[in-house]
Amino acid sequence: MPAVQETIEQVRRIDVDQYKYGFETVIEVDKAPKGLSEDTIRLISAKKDEPEWMLEWRLQAYRRWLTLEEPTWARVEYPKIDFQDIHYYAAPKNHAGPKSLDEVDPELLRVYEKLGIPLKEQEILAGVKKPGHETEADGVLSDLANDNVYKSGRVAVDAVFDSVSVVTTFKDELAKAGVIFCSISEAIREHPELVRKYLGSVVPITDNFYATLNSAVFTDGSFVFVPKGVRCPMELSTYFRINEKDTGQFERTLIIAEEGSYVSYLEGCTAPQRDENQLHAAVVELIALDDAEIKYSTVQNWYPGDAQGKGGIYNFVTKRGDCRGDRSKISWTQVETGSAITWKYPSCILRGDDSRGEFYSIAVSNGYQQVDSGTKMIHLGKNTSSRIISKGIAAGFSQNTYRGQVSAHRKATNARNFTNCDSLLIGNNCGAHTVPYMEAKNATAQFEHEATTSKISEDQKFYVMQRGIPEEEAVALIVNGFVKDVIQELPMEFAVEAQKLIGISLEGSVG
Amino acid sequence: MNMHATILRTPAEAALIEAFAERCSDLPGNESVVIRRDEAMEVLKQGLPTRRVESWHYTDMRRLLSSVPTYDAHGHAEVLAPVLDGSVVLPMLVGAASGAAPALEGVTFRPVRDKLADGSLAQALVPQGDDDAIGALNAAFVRDGWFVDIADGVMVERPIELQNVQGGGQAHVRLPVRVGNGVKATIVERQTGAGAGFVTSVANLVVGDDSDVLYVIVQEQPETATHLGQFNAWIGKNAKLTLFVMNAGGKLVRQEVRVVAKGEGSDFQLRGVNLLAGDTHTDLTMVLDHTVPHTGSRELVRNVVTGKARGVFQGRINVHQIAQKTDAKMACNTLLLSDDAEFSTKPELEIFADDVACGHGATVTEIDRNHLFYLMARGIDEKTARGLLVEAFVASVIEELEDETIVEALEARLHQWFAEHG
Amino acid sequence: MLEIKNLHARIADTGVEIIRGLNLTVKAGEVAAIMGPNGSGKSTLSYILAGREDYEVTEGDVLYNGESVLEMDPAERAAAGIFLAFQYPLEIPGVATMEFLKVALNAQRKARGEEPLKVPELLKRVKEAAGSLDIEMGMLKRPLNVGFSGGEKKRAEILQMKLLQPKLCVLDETDSGLDIDALKIVAEGVNALRSPDRAMVVITHYQRLLEYIVPDTVHVLYRGQVVRSGDKTLASELEANGYAAIVEEAA
Repeated sequence: MPAVQETIEQVRRIDVDQYKYGFETVIEVDKAPKGLSEDTIRLISAKKDEPEWMLEWRLQAYRRWLTLEEPTWARVEYPKIDFQDIHYYAAPKNHAGPKSLDEVDPELLRVYEKLGIPLKEQEILAGVKKPGHETEADGVLSDLANDNVYKSGRVAVDAVFDSVSVVTTFKDELAKAGVIFCSISEAIREHPELVRKYLGSVVPITDNFYATLNSAVFTDGSFVFVPKGVRCPMELSTYFRINEKDTGQFERTLIIAEEGSYVSYLEGCTAPQRDENQLHAAVVELIALDDAEIKYSTVQNWYPGDAQGKGGIYNFVTKRGDCRGDRSKISWTQVETGSAITWKYPSCILRGDDSRGEFYSIAVSNGYQQVDSGTKMIHLGKNTSSRIISKGIAAGFSQNTYRGQVSAHRKATNARNFTNCDSLLIGNNCGAHTVPYMEAKNATAQFEHEATTSKISEDQKFYVMQRGIPEEEAVALIVNGFVKDVIQELPMEFAVEAQKLIGISLEGSVG
Repeated sequence: MNMHATILRTPAEAALIEAFAERCSDLPGNESVVIRRDEAMEVLKQGLPTRRVESWHYTDMRRLLSSVPTYDAHGHAEVLAPVLDGSVVLPMLVGAASGAAPALEGVTFRPVRDKLADGSLAQALVPQGDDDAIGALNAAFVRDGWFVDIADGVMVERPIELQNVQGGGQAHVRLPVRVGNGVKATIVERQTGAGAGFVTSVANLVVGDDSDVLYVIVQEQPETATHLGQFNAWIGKNAKLTLFVMNAGGKLVRQEVRVVAKGEGSDFQLRGVNLLAGDTHTDLTMVLDHTVPHTGSRELVRNVVTGKARGVFQGRINVHQIAQKTDAKMACNTLLLSDDAEFSTKPELEIFADDVACGHGATVTEIDRNHLFYLMARGIDEKTARGLLVEAFVASVIEELEDETIVEALEARLHQWFAEHG
Repeated sequence: MLEIKNLHARIADTGVEIIRGLNLTVKAGEVAAIMGPNGSGKSTLSYILAGREDYEVTEGDVLYNGESVLEMDPAERAAAGIFLAFQYPLEIPGVATMEFLKVALNAQRKARGEEPLKVPELLKRVKEAAGSLDIEMGMLKRPLNVGFSGGEKKRAEILQMKLLQPKLCVLDETDSGLDIDALKIVAEGVNALRSPDRAMVVITHYQRLLEYIVPDTVHVLYRGQVVRSGDKTLASELEANGYAAIVEEAA
């Protein structure tokens, strides 16, 4: 597979703890002063030209937040965050709402070019090179090797830079299909009826410390609405970039799939390399009505901090999908390689009868990273099913925890869950932890959970090396095999990226 | 938690504080024991654990413990026939060691009240951490129990039964057991009685090097009693401890198992059976620490839940950084038999060593339809067939114990439970 | 091609000595059979040749084309042309067999300073090799050795050997777990690789395999030493009389 080769080559080229997205861009910004108060919230709301109801909603969340305490149950340790020492709003100057691509600051476009994010529709339409496949025959080989077949080169992108969405591509074409894809700020202004109906309906403003904070101060994010019966004609994606110093990023994403619709959504993120920690507290809400399907994929690559554990993003994220309709389906796939701290549990509420939730996760930790991630599958409707596949890889001095809850409520007749979580330890200074919670309140529920923790077997490594594959490549090969079940759930363009990232993240952990 | 708010005590919490004020001067113990009791009480004054305390997540004591009975000086209990024929019985009746210490070669027995009086048990009364509510409750109120000391190299001929029979009111016992090196022994801890008692029992078992111990806990409290048990064990080099736990009674039950594999080559086996019926709450919580290289453990817990019963199994395996080559496997399987039955499982792995093979599996299932069909195809009616399969589901755990007389004795109790609740 | 001189080796963990002064020379073009009772050190010898870290060489040397390989890691030895067909091939979950073949082949080519093989060429070679071993392309999509039957695993080993074109092939109990049809296929595969510039060390407990892969020399291993060497008739002798006679002689 080409990706393995690329992983290895990538690893070779890169020095220890080099984060390739660690550059910073000097762009004139408009920033709110540090600190959090009702005034800050009024300022954000005013900057965004929001209606009164939105401001009220934010203030309500803020007042609630003042009564809450930071949760401590996760297996992560970090110094107390000073919430008054953060800028809650930072936007590139002269940014007034979404623009056409021609109007976007060329410096910004260069940032995305450097990050490898295609924003120019013409280029995309002209046909990008299919990633990973050198030749037609390579494709055949790839296919033979049971790889995903590359489907479509076209992805619509919403680019969020610090606190604002700078551009959204393919909007017009999507609009023809009836799909609304825009920044949440724009949606609040242009589609208030939809936002009011659904915002906070999955993650209420009272939900938890970070979600409540987000509700008060969120600055931007993406909004997707796929109307009844529409299969979204291309992949949608949001690319988050934190650039400014001492800035928190609080994005809010809302995806609504009406009856019988389908959408696949991708999310990627990076941040500059800094000695200070930066806070990212996002909320993502998904709503799937009858027979709708939402596939949500994330490659999380926030700056993880340096080899000594200095700097890095604190990633406290609340992601939840509501299978509100019968026969609806929500599938989360995540590849977590970045962030100093990850606190993230993409969940599914299986409310509709016959609905289905899936969670596929790869969490790689190295250096001094701390990951506490997993999912919740809440079975409420009849004949609901869920599937959890989690692969944790801990190296260096990192701590990697899977925390997941599966529960079947009284009326959830015939609830089904299968959970498999495997952890791999590389080196003897890291920790791998598995904390599943299984709660069955219905006699017809069938839950099956299995978990293993091991290291790469010396026997396997010897066997692979005996065929002439050097040690570091041998480890990368075995690790890629270990995570294969999850990788194949990703759209092809993300799969290649994810495999590279895993290789880079583990670099230096062998020998 | 708001530090400035005044603590609103539940009736149970208030009753405990009151009981202590009344009873503390009557409880045995020298000065150092009194200090420990007071310290334990200070912990309890912070309130009983709620679901916000991670280790009590599924057993919110503050909510579940609605009342605590007062001491009942007139409670009645009698010595019972032992679970295993031919056992040496050490009775504790309404919380007090009863009768003279029996004679058994190589084994010394002493009432715990003596060891409280001379202070030799004071150190053991320190609770293990902030969340050790059972340890603290027991330390504050412990009145008696039996101390068992088995000398090096002794093959104990007869099983020893520590028989705790409550008769309503409160009963707080402690069971320190020291097993020397190269010992073979079978010990039964029996928890039973007839009243709506409030019982705490803490067993501390030290297993010496090269020893082989089978420890059986049979908890058959009436459906009105609260039973809070704790079993602590430390396993020496190349020693083997097999712990069998059967919970088949009680209104509110929590049995904690805390084991430290502290000698290289040691082996721990847990076999648990929870038979839960009525409107009851039963929690089996295990914490196992592998602290040295080359140790092994297997845990198999099976639960049958019917009526309005709620069950909990929490099992945490901690593998310390130096504990390379640990081989630890845990499994928890549950059958829910009624619409109102509930079971929650939390099997945890905390792993800090890389060269290990650890795993856990947990299932909640219905009876296998194929098996049911097969039996019915042989002419067995559905009810009988179900009964057979459910009983077989838990009997297989008991059958893993090698000693046939023990297997038979436990299966008889299992059978009896199914006759009453099946 | 292979020269083992007074080799002593022990298990690194326990210090138990397994190989105790073993001498063996195998020339290019030669097929040498190593026979011996269980526990005589046959598999250990194969692991030491391939460079497994669990064994520690305390004395003596292993020369391959006149140079010691003891300081080389397994991948370096493989790139130099030493191939071990495992008695129990390992399962590598998630890594498709085809993908593995490509990575292994190109890693070896890279180590030798050669260009990676173009995909059409690779496919062509794999198809050829697979066909003669009765391996269907569908099997190559499956993760390496995962869920393979005993026969499939052994055929996959020979497939790798054919593709990688090693100079020194060590076959460890390749006949174990094979029925007679599978054994014939595997033996044909091995025989097809016999060539004047390639040496083979065939480790086996039974004479059966040697009816299909006829050796040039036969060496009896006992307690970590070669206690007797001869031609192929020695194998028949062992089959008829068992190891006891030779073992007594050695003791």
